[in-house]
Amino acid sequence: MKRRAALLLRLACFLVLVAIPASAKETVKLAFIGPLTGGNSAIGLGGRNSADLAVKLRNADPTAKYQYELVVLDDECKPDTGVQVATKAAADRTIIAGVTHYCSVVAMATVDTFHRLALPTIVWGAVLPDITYGHSYKEIHRVNGTMVNQNETAAKLMLAQGFRRWVVIHDTTDYGKGHNKYFTQFVTAGGGQVLGTFGVTADQQDFTAELTQAKARNPEVIFFGGLTPIGVRIRAQMDKLGLAAQFQGTSGIVSDDFIKGLGPLAEGVVAFREGGPAEKLPGGKFFLEKYAEQKYANSPEAYGPFAFAAASLLMDTIEKVGPDRKKVLSALGEVKGKDSIVGTITFDDHGQNTVAAITAYVVQDGKWVVWQDSEYASGRRKLKGR
Amino acid sequence: MTAARARVRSALATLVLAVPCTLLLYGFLAAESEGKVALVLAGATLAAALGWRTGLLGWAVRASGQGGLALGFALSGLALVAAFHEDPFVLLLLARALIALVACLGLHVQLADAGVPNFAGAAFFGVGGYTAAVLGKGALPHAVVLLACGALAAAVGSVLLLPLLRTRGHYAALITIAFGLLFRTFFEVNESLGGPQGLKLGGLEVLGFHFNDDRHVLGLEWSGYAFYALAALALALAALSLVRRLERSWLGLALDAVRLDETAAACFGVEVARWKIGAFTLGNALIGVAGGLSAMMVGFIAPNNFTFQESLVLVSILLLGGLGNLAGLAVATLIVVCLPEKLQPIQEYRYLLFSVLVVLVLVLRPAGLVRRTARRSFGSAAA
Repeated sequence: MKRRAALLLRLACFLVLVAIPASAKETVKLAFIGPLTGGNSAIGLGGRNSADLAVKLRNADPTAKYQYELVVLDDECKPDTGVQVATKAAADRTIIAGVTHYCSVVAMATVDTFHRLALPTIVWGAVLPDITYGHSYKEIHRVNGTMVNQNETAAKLMLAQGFRRWVVIHDTTDYGKGHNKYFTQFVTAGGGQVLGTFGVTADQQDFTAELTQAKARNPEVIFFGGLTPIGVRIRAQMDKLGLAAQFQGTSGIVSDDFIKGLGPLAEGVVAFREGGPAEKLPGGKFFLEKYAEQKYANSPEAYGPFAFAAASLLMDTIEKVGPDRKKVLSALGEVKGKDSIVGTITFDDHGQNTVAAITAYVVQDGKWVVWQDSEYASGRRKLKGR
Repeated sequence: MTAARARVRSALATLVLAVPCTLLLYGFLAAESEGKVALVLAGATLAAALGWRTGLLGWAVRASGQGGLALGFALSGLALVAAFHEDPFVLLLLARALIALVACLGLHVQLADAGVPNFAGAAFFGVGGYTAAVLGKGALPHAVVLLACGALAAAVGSVLLLPLLRTRGHYAALITIAFGLLFRTFFEVNESLGGPQGLKLGGLEVLGFHFNDDRHVLGLEWSGYAFYALAALALALAALSLVRRLERSWLGLALDAVRLDETAAACFGVEVARWKIGAFTLGNALIGVAGGLSAMMVGFIAPNNFTFQESLVLVSILLLGGLGNLAGLAVATLIVVCLPEKLQPIQEYRYLLFSVLVVLVLVLRPAGLVRRTARRSFGSAAA
């Protein structure tokens, strides 16, 4: 009896605590959609935490007009689940805007849903050009750059290091295929050679066949267009087969999981990502400090800053025009030269951020280090074969 | 008992069954927070236990009769669609559950009736989806396209017939697993069918009626998904009565014999191969039609919707519901399709909790939620 009474008391206390409203401000809801379970969950959780951080910081700001609430939804990196949660977010009229999708295949699938149900969204991670350029819907925006800019920078930097012979391995999603297309285009225009191109499926385990053929062509660099899980496998299997070429990746492998999965083998891997390096931009350091303060279980990963920037931009817009989807939508269309932790944001007619800086990274002592600050750039360490 | 009185009794029993079920379903679908979901689940368990103990449940099922049960299912579905007419998300969820029910009925015919394992359910679902994507763009009426989805899934399934007939048990299961994996790789490398990035589909259109559009009917704003939910309801109802009729007929008796003891069945002149082929093909056709409707509704298909994992989910619905029981199957479908969605508030932990729930159910009720009922002998007129 005593235990039951204690339990009831505790329950009552809990209910009272819940019932007390945090403040008298009007609550405005934002949606966050990303992969929280499955192979890409590390990046999804990093993005979720970053968006959550943006909301928490805003709620702590006494000058903010509204109280914000983040509704987090898991798209599992699967199109059908993506459409379902997109419908959930967009159909909920109390949700004013969304920070949506890391996986390109899901982002492509949900474009129509957001348009039909008129929810203004900002993509925080998916890089396929068609997500913004494949239609004329006003609802879809994107803060991160596309793979076109990324590969231009990548080709220039690697050519400048004196590399000339590449073998390309890419996953056969549009993400991987796009990277293959644009990288090959820029690198051959700059005088490089692509000795072979291999498409692999996104859940392939064994790459011996592709890597043996690649080895026979004696490339200086293996270019990999794809996401972390198979990037880890390919790099590890290169080592087993004694393929001593330099490994170069795309934005898909710029994650802490990549280094964790490979250990010392990750050393010297080069990859490129859209946006300025968070540590260097105004507010970037602030972001990393605040992120550390919250003691999240996962790191923000490569795309966390974009999720933070997207959420902040949406809240800035709502502060200005009020919690109304239509007004937010038209205000987003006019965003020009807005400062953020990933650089200035300017949306073009398709909602694409056109001022997309690209940052080169290299793994040095178990960390992704901005290329210009690394010992590889200063000449103290050498990339493979240099 | 006169016919009129029997009819009244049946109607009453149907009401006794359908009204609480509909209310619980409404509560489940409308629940937003994890607390409310838990409350509804607890309520459902309590109601089921009470109904079982007092014998009310058994009486209601028996007194409703087949027609009454079908009517109750239809009315309950209609009431739910009407209640959520403006809420596209709930309607989408409801429609997905109904479509999954049709697919599971296909598996039910294969596994629970004929004893043919099929661990490639998602692959056949995918065949239906891709058929809808390719044929849906053409001039064919979409009702025909849906039938073609079933036909093609059945045709693709016929590739597996020979190895399936030569093997049993685990070996047969392995063959279907291999096929499921093959299917996915085939679509990932096949550029003309969208590759791993998938294909976009237009919506369903029957006799000039576009299912995708929201519209004004009977003074209410109806979301486009309401019409999909109705189509799925009609399909589920048709599949349910087809399977039920099949089971209750002499065909069902023969399938039972094949499942329980092939040798004995063969000794009594039952042609085992023929029955297995029939059940496997019919099952795949049902799964294919469901896949076609699902693809048209979601508007996008990609190979990673049809993984081995998804096939396992379909089989687990069967096991969770209780192999061979249609009522259990319906409840399990609803739980497996909707619960992960309802657990979205707990974000990355939802599959963990969901798995724990499934394991708990199977520990507490090893034979699934509801057991297979014994076949009724002749002369029980009420059934």
